Amino acid sequence: MTDSANSGNDSEWVCNLCEMSVKERTVRLQYQRTIFALALPACPKCGMVLISEELATGKMAEAEQALEDK
Amino acid sequence: MEQANPNETESLCPVCLKRIKATRLLRGDEVFLIKECGEHGVFETVIWRGEPSMVEWKRAKKPVHPELCYGPVDKGCPFDCGLCAAHEQMPCSVLLEVTDRCNLHCAFCFADSSSRKAEDPTLEKISWLLERAMAAAGSCNLQLSGGEPTLRNDLPEIVEIARRIGYCFIQLNTNGIRLAADKDYAKQLQGAGLSSVFLQFDGVDDEIYRTLRGRSLLDQKLQAIRNSGEVGLGVVLVPTLVKGVNIDAIGAIVRCALQLSPAVRGVHFQPVSYFGRHPELNGDAGRFTLPELMRCLEEQTEGLIKVKDFSPPGGEHEHCSCHASYVLSSEGKLRAIGAANNDGCCSVVPGSDGIKKTVENVSRRWKLLSPAPSFNLPQPSANKACCSGNNPDIKRAEGPLDLDDFLREVASRSFTLSAMAFQDADNLDLERLRGCCISVISSDGRLIPFCACNLTSRDGKNLYLTRNGSMAR
Repeated sequence: MTDSANSGNDSEWVCNLCEMSVKERTVRLQYQRTIFALALPACPKCGMVLISEELATGKMAEAEQALEDK
Repeated sequence: MEQANPNETESLCPVCLKRIKATRLLRGDEVFLIKECGEHGVFETVIWRGEPSMVEWKRAKKPVHPELCYGPVDKGCPFDCGLCAAHEQMPCSVLLEVTDRCNLHCAFCFADSSSRKAEDPTLEKISWLLERAMAAAGSCNLQLSGGEPTLRNDLPEIVEIARRIGYCFIQLNTNGIRLAADKDYAKQLQGAGLSSVFLQFDGVDDEIYRTLRGRSLLDQKLQAIRNSGEVGLGVVLVPTLVKGVNIDAIGAIVRCALQLSPAVRGVHFQPVSYFGRHPELNGDAGRFTLPELMRCLEEQTEGLIKVKDFSPPGGEHEHCSCHASYVLSSEGKLRAIGAANNDGCCSVVPGSDGIKKTVENVSRRWKLLSPAPSFNLPQPSANKACCSGNNPDIKRAEGPLDLDDFLREVASRSFTLSAMAFQDADNLDLERLRGCCISVISSDGRLIPFCACNLTSRDGKNLYLTRNGSMAR
């Protein structure tokens, strides 16, 4: 993905492979057996999903820790 | 015809406690431990019945050996426990018996406790024992046990001592009688740093208590849960499962526990083993194995709980336990979380990593984060109404969930089902024993795997522990 506008909330991410602007859609993220439904930017052509660093190291990491098996 | 599927291990002769070879043999859908003592003959005990099969119930671990050992490797397993350098797992939990006295005289008692006046260890002695255990086991959970630990008025001081030494998760194993009668005492324990209450809870019907514990106790159990929850102590229900007594109550126990969540954090089942004090061994007919329990849970909860929710353990040996984790939403939706059997990952978990996770997870899931809302107790002796907690009719939830909802509820509304299959002289498998991660702190300051510590021969001779405070070995 490339951030073409490169400026905070106004940024517009483009899929490098398809050269298409990403659009928000509902995607399913699975960790072990648990599936989360989230609205995330994704390429309308190839389906590549953009996960921000904030989400990956924040809520997703928190969920992973909570789901981690003993 | 017997299918040849030999799985060699070692065990003890249940009569003379001599170490002998043993074989795990699959016959139909049952697995038997078969062993022969030159002097006392052949012994055969069922150790696994049906699905999920023992073959698929796997979770490989790389052995990790204790660095600080209180005793040399000399006679070989299981005669050198301390732990010895040949042990293959670090403790996730150490258990201290703070008294031998008890205010019940149960038909089944792993510790063979009694009402007799035995001298309790002093606070100085307890402090020494806990420091020695911490030095050898490292940071792990602590179980305060007995006898009945709440017979000691200074139990809050013991909790404080353990906290000062560095134990972060301290659980109390109790029959609940004092917690029911004395809420201030529960509050003192919580204030001292107690994390969780493991409450002996065999069913939702007083007939079960009269059979196993000698008297009606259900009202006291429920009051103990209420008092504990109100002072901020999470409760894990611990049923001893005995065929012919309370196997049919398994589903009702789970439903009751769910109704009393979040004060009740889960249920930890213990199928009966034949050590300590117990009625005569009823052969294989009395054995209740882990897969049978998992199937019973699914059947008796009509699919609210499913066999597929359960995983083998990351800490102890795979044949010793099973567990399943859930989130119970405030709307009464129960959702299974965590790895299904074998779908977590395909790599071998180093033993120390498995223990670290076990210690962390037990602490997170069995603690109560804030005092639980009071629930309506049933009228005295209205035993069938046990499940009159605050939660709506509970239904199973499947499918995708919202990440924010999950994060909000998982911290405070997790619920765990687990079971531990303890070993006795008949079904002892030394491979399992070497992988044990629950150690009893003996009176002379060694760490003895729980099943070795309590193991008795068929005529009651102890492998390790004698009940006058001294060690047999």
